Amino acid sequence: MNLYVLPGHGIYGGIKVGFQFASILATMGVRIAVATPGGLAPTWFESSMAVVDRDSSIAQLTEQDVAIFSLPHDYALLKRTPARLVFHCQGTDPLIDPIVDDPDVVMLACWPQAAAYMRARGREPIDVGIHVSEVFHYDGTPKKPAHVACMPRRGSDLAEACRRHVPSLTFVPIDNQHERDAARIMKDCAYFLATSEGEWFGLPALEAMAAGAVVVSVRVPTGPHYLDHGRNGVVADADDLPAALASISADAERLLRRRLLLGGMATASRYSLGHQRSLVDGAMGRGLREALSWS
Amino acid sequence: MELTVVIPSFGLDALLRTCLASLATSLQVAGIDDVRVVVADNGSTNPYRVEHLGGGRVELLRFDQRTSFARACNMAARSAPARRYLFLNNDVLLHPQAIADVVGTMDAVRNAGICGARLVFPDDRIQHCGVRMDDGPLGPYHEFAGQPTARVSRAIRDFPAVTGAVLLIDGQLFDELGGFDEIYPFGYEDLDLCLRAGQKGARITCAQAIDSLHFESMSNRDPGRHDLSRQQFWQRWKGRYTRVGSWQPP
Repeated sequence: MNLYVLPGHGIYGGIKVGFQFASILATMGVRIAVATPGGLAPTWFESSMAVVDRDSSIAQLTEQDVAIFSLPHDYALLKRTPARLVFHCQGTDPLIDPIVDDPDVVMLACWPQAAAYMRARGREPIDVGIHVSEVFHYDGTPKKPAHVACMPRRGSDLAEACRRHVPSLTFVPIDNQHERDAARIMKDCAYFLATSEGEWFGLPALEAMAAGAVVVSVRVPTGPHYLDHGRNGVVADADDLPAALASISADAERLLRRRLLLGGMATASRYSLGHQRSLVDGAMGRGLREALSWS
Repeated sequence: MELTVVIPSFGLDALLRTCLASLATSLQVAGIDDVRVVVADNGSTNPYRVEHLGGGRVELLRFDQRTSFARACNMAARSAPARRYLFLNNDVLLHPQAIADVVGTMDAVRNAGICGARLVFPDDRIQHCGVRMDDGPLGPYHEFAGQPTARVSRAIRDFPAVTGAVLLIDGQLFDELGGFDEIYPFGYEDLDLCLRAGQKGARITCAQAIDSLHFESMSNRDPGRHDLSRQQFWQRWKGRYTRVGSWQPP
């Protein structure tokens, strides 16, 4: 049995990415369940994965089992169990170094940046990718040309600075909502403002691209590798972000916006469910099959 | 034994006979010979007699006092261990190709532990083609219930649960789960079984190519018949299942 161990079921990208990966494994015939505290299931995105109680499931792990985890804080706890461990790396942080250095832990990478981080420490990860939920892909919803979707939970001061700087735009916050509602807002809005300066993998920006919103993002040193200024979005330092938003939303930039929108949608199309399935299928032949439990 | 078919039943002799006749045809079409058919006579006023049920391979397990659906099914399954169990309601008339469809789907879906069947009412509206879960007060619901079957996709997909009216389960998985949980007096034991199977890493799917007929609730039409079971189900599962899709009124 394989157990994907998560620290919670709340609204954090890593929770959804874990469920998505577990679902793909399940469709490939892998016996897997997701373990959360209290066995509580997330209610903010769709999934068909079964959920089990984290504490009791971890206590029952045997050497026949595999525990998959993505939060580095879970490493010490899981290391004490007889289960084999698989680290599903969604982001990089010095906290993951002891995990990367443990030769008994199999490494999976969602992103090229995570893979590069592990290679720099002498480990070769298995690329398993990531995908944008189907619900985000643009369906022709008429856009509101002066509406900006944003997630003020992270970077609210920066969002507020942008709002003050460009009063002609209407800001639509996305917070504590089901992904279906978040997708509806992104599809409605012409722009998505990414203000989180600590975002390593930035799934919301990718979801916004899929939804046909022009992404205007604060620069993050180890930020999303897929975000390319001038090709599929606008990237600016925090101090320059309000001006960048003003500039791209100007009437004269209609053609540039169109180009960025199309570039963003093309980028997002490479993160489809079908694409990740192919990637994971290929990963089975590159060590993932041996890393999992088939009993 | 390859397959044991379990039919819990109370009265409705004529319906049961017709159910058994449709089962015999469907097993024959599927080419399944290594099979036992156990009717759990759940306290029928006039006890069933094999010769009145068409004879053949039918075996009877008699309960003089009516017991829960879960217990009747468990006892019948334990009386005839098999590689797979098919639980069947007495008010289901199987299409001749239905068993082949269900078994074929179970074989085709990797790591499937449970497979249901597509069922329609007599007017060709969907009775069951898979169960979805709502995280609101609705709880479990039959996807596309009441929709004309011609309008509903026949693509094979995963579900959190399927109805126990026609439910094929891997025998080892059934044993591992300890069968249906007998805390449920009537109803929801099938959904509970599926959710627990999911926790063991098994996939739940449903055959979609063939429609069989399900009259639904012929033995008990009391509107409150599921209340106690529903309460038990909520206590155990509220907040503990994921969801896909949302209920669409027919």
